[in-house]
Amino acid sequence: MRFPTLPTWFAKKLSVASPVKVKDRSQLRVGIPKVLNIWTTAQFWVGFLKALGVSSENIIFSSDTSEEQGREFGKGRGTVDCCYPVKCISGHYGELIFGQKKKINVLFSPMIHTLPSLLHGHVVDTITCTRVMAGPESIKAGFMKERDIFTENGIVYASPFVSLGDRHMVVQQMHDSLKDVFDLDLEETNLAVQAGFEALDAFTAKARQQSRDILNWCAQNQKPCILVLARPYHMDTGIGHEIEAELQAHGFPILWLQYLPGDGDLMNWLFEEDMRSGRIKSPFDISDVWTSSYSSNTNEIMWGAKFASRCPWITCVIRLSSYECGMDQPTYTPTQKIVEASRTLFFKFGDLDSTKPAGSIKIRVETVVHYMAKYSQEIMRSKLARLSPQCPLGPLQAPASSLPESEVPAGLHADNPPAVSAAS
Amino acid sequence: MAQLATIAPYTAYKPRPFTRDQRGKTTILYGGLTWKHERLMQGALHNLKYNAEPLPNIARDDLDAGKELIDTGACCPTIFTTGSLVNFLKKEVAAHGKDQVNDKFIYLTAGACGPCRFGQYHESYSMALDGLGLRDFRLFLLAQDELDQGPANGGGLEINMPMSLGLIWSILCGDLLVDLEYMTRPYEVNPGQTDAVLKDSVEYMYEVFLHRPDRGKKYGTLAWHLMSNYFTKALREVRKKWDAIEVDHLRVKAKVKVTGEFWLQTHEGDGNYNIKRWLEQEQSEVVPPPVAVWLHYLLHPEIRKLEHRNSKSKHPQMQQMALQALEKIYRGTYNRFRKALANLPNELPDQVELKQLAEPFYHFELRGGEGHMLIGKALHAYHHKKAHMICELSPYSCMPNTMSIGSMANVLGKYPDLLYAPIEVKGDAEVHALSRCQMILTEAKKRAQAEFEDVMKKTGLTVDAIRKYEARHPEVKRATYKVPHLGYAGMAANYITHLARCGVGNA
Ligand code: SF4
Ligand code: SF4
Repeated sequence: MRFPTLPTWFAKKLSVASPVKVKDRSQLRVGIPKVLNIWTTAQFWVGFLKALGVSSENIIFSSDTSEEQGREFGKGRGTVDCCYPVKCISGHYGELIFGQKKKINVLFSPMIHTLPSLLHGHVVDTITCTRVMAGPESIKAGFMKERDIFTENGIVYASPFVSLGDRHMVVQQMHDSLKDVFDLDLEETNLAVQAGFEALDAFTAKARQQSRDILNWCAQNQKPCILVLARPYHMDTGIGHEIEAELQAHGFPILWLQYLPGDGDLMNWLFEEDMRSGRIKSPFDISDVWTSSYSSNTNEIMWGAKFASRCPWITCVIRLSSYECGMDQPTYTPTQKIVEASRTLFFKFGDLDSTKPAGSIKIRVETVVHYMAKYSQEIMRSKLARLSPQCPLGPLQAPASSLPESEVPAGLHADNPPAVSAAS
Repeated sequence: MAQLATIAPYTAYKPRPFTRDQRGKTTILYGGLTWKHERLMQGALHNLKYNAEPLPNIARDDLDAGKELIDTGACCPTIFTTGSLVNFLKKEVAAHGKDQVNDKFIYLTAGACGPCRFGQYHESYSMALDGLGLRDFRLFLLAQDELDQGPANGGGLEINMPMSLGLIWSILCGDLLVDLEYMTRPYEVNPGQTDAVLKDSVEYMYEVFLHRPDRGKKYGTLAWHLMSNYFTKALREVRKKWDAIEVDHLRVKAKVKVTGEFWLQTHEGDGNYNIKRWLEQEQSEVVPPPVAVWLHYLLHPEIRKLEHRNSKSKHPQMQQMALQALEKIYRGTYNRFRKALANLPNELPDQVELKQLAEPFYHFELRGGEGHMLIGKALHAYHHKKAHMICELSPYSCMPNTMSIGSMANVLGKYPDLLYAPIEVKGDAEVHALSRCQMILTEAKKRAQAEFEDVMKKTGLTVDAIRKYEARHPEVKRATYKVPHLGYAGMAANYITHLARCGVGNA
């Protein structure tokens, strides 16, 4: 069984459009569920579709996840119980199908197999979680089990299987699965894929530069910041529950591991000792802490933890993790140990589900703020002491201790970390 | 440059070397399959002069031992297998002390490219070792897709052709014996006879593997494994042993194909609530899942093209052709072994057909767990009438399984009469799981009975006439008598149809 293509849509277009603009796709409305790894690859899809002639206003992303979205649009469509980032996708599909004033023509939900990653070439692979990859198939079933809801609503369901981390594969994969949907030839697919990667690379580079600017500011002002160690979709306010925003409201700049700067000067400075001792071959090598480096987001979480444990101004890491996440499960202890090895504060907000646990988040946030206020200066000092004075972020002044000497935890001078982690 | 202050960073577990000279006094521990497979693997390892010992079969308290030492939220195969190693090591430490345990044993486990936890099992094992204070204990991974990985970590363990082929051949033979077991026991006339013959056959095949001739370390041994009649001769001996079992194929049984997550479907024991035995007690015949299907999936060139996406091979076409040849040889070998057993064990399903069947519901390149095969296998059994129902064993919180179970909703929408029981296995919720299975099984039994009655009517045969024929032709009552598949899922219906075609009614 194949999904219906767009013969009706194109047939309609052909009768009204001028014969030269056979492939005018400007009126085509494409809905993309804003879920899972779309959070770090959205620019690729937008760039790709725009290059095909789909206009920006006709590329529609579903809203952030919410319980209301699930109730209104996803009810009865779930086919299996699993982690919330996947379970909630039914609501996104439903919103795109039933919740648009102007109907979409295509529901575009890629099955992303591998991801572009800073660690590419330094790890075994950059595969996505099985559920991330296969989620669209499982969610689709909920809209097809009794009747074909897509066809009933005049929507073409398009779900290309794409290895975004292996760029040489992408043109063929996109062409194979989308040629009928968008009436594509290989050459225009090639150009659109290139445009997609250009857009993605430009955005990622800009976001990394912004993270570097934050670190720069922290270095110059000797101020601490927080690193969020999470999967990309924890940026979704309905999945990550805006925990980092609450911390930001207390004046702490926030960095997401997905956009940490990977510039050579900074990397070599942070990982100088590890490379000198032969522990790692490159700053992006994580084999010292994680040997089964297949999974892209897991690899990056490990690398982010290493980055945080070395970077002086990241004095606190918050780890977000969804309830029943099988990929995170084996990483809980290693990440905590990596971070805490340098006495960096580590707080885990685990088992996140559909409902925001507002009360407990509030208490935890207060705890984080308290510890950061109390220990950040010492943490920065002790981490700086382990790095060469040639900081690429400019000449530094050692941060003044905010604590009387008697209150400085022994661990910040010696090798035993203070017990300030608050993993839940 | 001034010496900088240093910290002791977290470091992942790396095993101490296992050297060649330690081989004589070190025992390789392994596990994860059935006792039959494991005993034959032991033969192959003993043949190569390794000391080797399978871990004791999984028990319920392994779940608690595993949970105690690894991060919460793991899937039950991870917890059970970690717990099993933990309990074994605890006992040994109590008896002999940590140092001796660290020196005396190594643990060998399958590694996998892992979009799921299968690729990360050893992270849990090493966490458990930390918890036990046994970080010096050695744990090695055996990649599933390379026959010759050379001497690893000190040279004590040589993962070369003789070892890989020995292990694969023992798995194939293990599968064939398991198939015989499950297709015979529900029909045995003398209770316990199947298990006794099975035990005898396994011990016999252990000796066969133990005395496997040495044919060098590279292509000589490969050629010998592919061409020699050493194993087929042995399997013919096994068949003779099974000749002695008298069966009654008129018993109406629901045929239940067990599928699911790799470890859980293969396992026989507390890890999956002993569900295969339970199904037999509930008047059904189990179609067990051969490990060989998984290996076939791993090497199928069309299915696994993606694995070679970054191949640096200068001759990709040659590589592809070699893989195609390998796949054919693999299937050919399995069929050769089947033939030695009167073609009784089930054929391996065609991987391309599984892919095509699953295609509208689950993309074949979605990796993790059994991938598209769960849907492919369910539809294969349905279309070819190979079983009345599918019992899919799914570990609680398993990532790939949840996705294919979700997609099965779409399959069931298209094929509402497909009897499908997805059973979530947590390890400690037996009653709930079995009662769920019971609901579908009741329907499967009804179908088996209806099929039987239909065939009796169509053929006009009576039980009495069949019994008389059996008395005159005792060979049809032998476990090794091949009842052809004549379009029915159930054994009894096929048997009656077959007898009718043999002219029983005219006798
Ligand atoms: S990584 Fe975890 S949360 Fe994300 S889809 Fe996979 S199991 Fe779910
Ligand atoms: S397939 Fe499922 S149960 Fe098996 S290791 Fe992977 S996540 Fe665990």
